[in-house]
Amino acid sequence: MKAILRFFTSVRVAIILLIILALASILGTLIPQGRTLEEYTARYGGLSTLFIRLQLTELYHSVWYLGLLGLFALNIAVCTLDRLGPKLRRTFHPKIENDPKALAGMKIKDKIRLNDRPEVVKTKTEAALRSARYRIRSTADSEGRIHLLGRRRMDGLFGSDIVHLGLLVIIAGGIVTAFGGFRTNLNLNPGDVRDVPKAGFAVRLDKFEIEKYPDGSVKDWKSTLTVLENGVPTRTQIVEVNHPLVHRGFSFYQTAYGFNWDAPSLEIRVLMKSDPAFVKIFQTPLNRKEALGDKEKTEILVTRFIPDFVLGDNNQPETRSLEPNNPAALVEGWRGGEKVFDGWVFAAYPDFTQMHGGAASDLKIELRNFDAAQYSVLETAKDPGVSLIWLGCLLIMAGLFLAFYRPTWEIRVTIENVSGKTELAAGGLATKSRDLFEAEFAGLTARLRRIP
Amino acid sequence: MTESTFFTAAFAIYFAAALFYLAFLFGKKPARAKAGFALAIAGLVIHTAALLLRTFQSGHAPFTNMYESMSFLAYASVLAFVIIEAKFKVPKVGAFLMLIVIGIMALASSPLMPKEATPLVPALQSYWLWLHVSVTLLGEAFFAVAFITSLMYLQAKDPEKRDRMDSVSYRCVSIGFPLFTLGGLVFGMVWAEKAWGTYWSWDPKEVWSLITWFVFALYLHTRIVMGWKGKRSAIIVILGFLAALFTFFGVNYLLSGLHSYA
Repeated sequence: MKAILRFFTSVRVAIILLIILALASILGTLIPQGRTLEEYTARYGGLSTLFIRLQLTELYHSVWYLGLLGLFALNIAVCTLDRLGPKLRRTFHPKIENDPKALAGMKIKDKIRLNDRPEVVKTKTEAALRSARYRIRSTADSEGRIHLLGRRRMDGLFGSDIVHLGLLVIIAGGIVTAFGGFRTNLNLNPGDVRDVPKAGFAVRLDKFEIEKYPDGSVKDWKSTLTVLENGVPTRTQIVEVNHPLVHRGFSFYQTAYGFNWDAPSLEIRVLMKSDPAFVKIFQTPLNRKEALGDKEKTEILVTRFIPDFVLGDNNQPETRSLEPNNPAALVEGWRGGEKVFDGWVFAAYPDFTQMHGGAASDLKIELRNFDAAQYSVLETAKDPGVSLIWLGCLLIMAGLFLAFYRPTWEIRVTIENVSGKTELAAGGLATKSRDLFEAEFAGLTARLRRIP
Repeated sequence: MTESTFFTAAFAIYFAAALFYLAFLFGKKPARAKAGFALAIAGLVIHTAALLLRTFQSGHAPFTNMYESMSFLAYASVLAFVIIEAKFKVPKVGAFLMLIVIGIMALASSPLMPKEATPLVPALQSYWLWLHVSVTLLGEAFFAVAFITSLMYLQAKDPEKRDRMDSVSYRCVSIGFPLFTLGGLVFGMVWAEKAWGTYWSWDPKEVWSLITWFVFALYLHTRIVMGWKGKRSAIIVILGFLAALFTFFGVNYLLSGLHSYA
C-alpha cells in the first residue's frame, strides 16, 4: 500500500496520466459518441462491435476512462498531501539559522563587509527588509552569529495546492451529480398540472409562447410556470432559455417544444366530381363525424393524423419526425352506420389520394390546413453536485491567482563579527518571477552597502 | 461610417504595422519597431470602434458568428501583443504576430464568412456570451503570443535571446492560462448550467477546451516541478496553442456538437 502511494507521489506519473487522458479525450471527439449500432456499422463496418466492446462509443462514461480519472484524482491528492507537510513546516516553523554552506550555495547571493557593530547592522537590515514588505524572523546562535529570515507572500506557496484541491472538489461534484443527480423531461400543454417526480410539489404550465423575429426564426420560447405546493400556487415565473426557474433545489429549463399532433385541428375540403358547384369545407378535430350534406347522407371523419408521413418497416404508416413535413390524415366515410370508404389524404400531394371503397369514387377529399396546440418541454433537474462544482471553480481561480501572481520570495541573512569587521552574507530564493526578485535583491544589498 | 469601413481601416493599419515590424526584423532600426507599435495601437483603436459599431447595430455581443469571432480574435491578439510588448519589449514578436493577425483578418473578410448580423438564437441571449467568449479569446490570444515566442526560441541561436524568449513564453502562459481557465472552462460551465441545464456535457468543444487545458497544465508541471525549460517547454506551448486553435476552428468545421453557433 505504501509503495503504491509512493508511486503516486511522482510527478512523472501525473504527467503520464495527463498525456493518456488528453489522448483518450481526443479519441472520444473523433468517434461520434452515443450513436446507434447501425450508424457505427455504416461508418466503421466490422470494427463497430470492437469499438462498442471497448466502450469507445460511450468513452467519457466508460469504466476505463472513469478509472483513469480516478487514478488522476488519487495522484493529485497524494502529490499534494506529500508536498503540503514540508510547505506548512517551511511557512510556520521555518529554520531560521542559516547553514553558511547552504547560504553560499544559493544562486542569488551577496557578501558585504561593514564597520558598524553586528547589532546595528541587524537593525538596519531589518528596517531595509521591512520597508520592502518582508516579514522577518531572527535568532542568534551559540557562536554569536545573527540569523535573519525575511519572507514575502508566503500564501503564494499554496496556490498550486488550492488549485489541486479545487480539481478534487470538482471531481467530487461530478460523482455527486452522477449518483445523486436526477433529471427528467416534462412535456406540458398549457393548463397541465404535473407532479414533479421526487420533488413533493407540482408545476402548472399557464401559458406557452413562441416569439419570432421578423425573418421567422425563433427569438424565444416562454413558458409561464406556476409552482403548486399542496395544490396551492406559491410562485409564478416565466421560464426561458438562459432563465431557469429554481425551486427547492429543482431547476426547470426550457429545452424544447413540440406540437400536440394527437389533438390536431384540421381543415378538410370535399369536392364532388359530378357537381362542380359542390364544395364542403369543415374544421374538425379527430373522430368527429361531419355530415357532408349530399344525397347519400355521407358522414366524414378523420381518425388519424400523422405530421411527417412515411411507410415504416411493415408497410405501416408512421411518422418520421414531429415536424409537419408531410402531413397526412386518415379519412373515413360512413353511410347509415357503416364504413363505406377510407384512405390517406396528404396536404402536400392533393392528387395522390386514393380512397378504398367505391362509394368515394365521386368525391375529392383534401387536407387543406392543419394545426395543433404547442406544448412546452421543460427539463427538470436536481443536481446536488452543482454547488461543489462552483466551489471547485472558485478554489481553482483563487489558487491560480496565488500561484501566478503571488510569487513567494525569501531572503536569508547571516551577520557575524569577523576579525573586527561585520560581515553580512545574504542569499535569496524565489519560487517564481526570479528576474524581478533579482532586481529587488540587488537593490536591497546596494542599500545595505551604504551602511557605514 | 459603417462597421465595415472601420474594419477595413483597422485591417489596413495592421498591415502597415506588420510592414514596419518586418522592416525592423531585417534592418534592426528601433524607429521602425516604434512605428510598428504605434500603428498596432492605432489599429486597435479603430478596431475598437468597429466592434462597438457592430454591437450597436446588431444589438448583441460582436462574436456570434465566425466573421465576428475571428475579428475579435485578431483584436484580442493585437491587445495581448501590445500588453506583452509594453511590459517585456520584444519587438521582433510584432513581425510574426501582426502577420498572423493579418491572416485572421483576411480570413474574416473572405467571402466564405457570412457577415450579416443575424438575430440571436435563444441559447445565446445571455450576458454570459460576453464573459465566456471575450475572456476565452483573450486567453487564447496570450497563447498565440506564447506560440510565437516559442517558435522564435526554437529558431534562435544566441543563448541570451533564447533565454528571453523562453521567459516571455512563460509570462504569456501565466497570463493566458488563468484567463482561459476562467473564460473557457469556469464561465463556460456556469453558462452551460444556465442554458442547457448541465454544467458539462462532453460536447466536442468542451472536450477540446479540456485537452488544451491539460496541455498547458503539462507545460506548467514539467517546467515548475521537473525543471524543463527551453526546447521541450517550447514544443509543449506550440502543441497547446494548436489545441486551442483546433478548439476554436476545427471543432466548428470538423466535429458537430452543441456549440454549433459560430
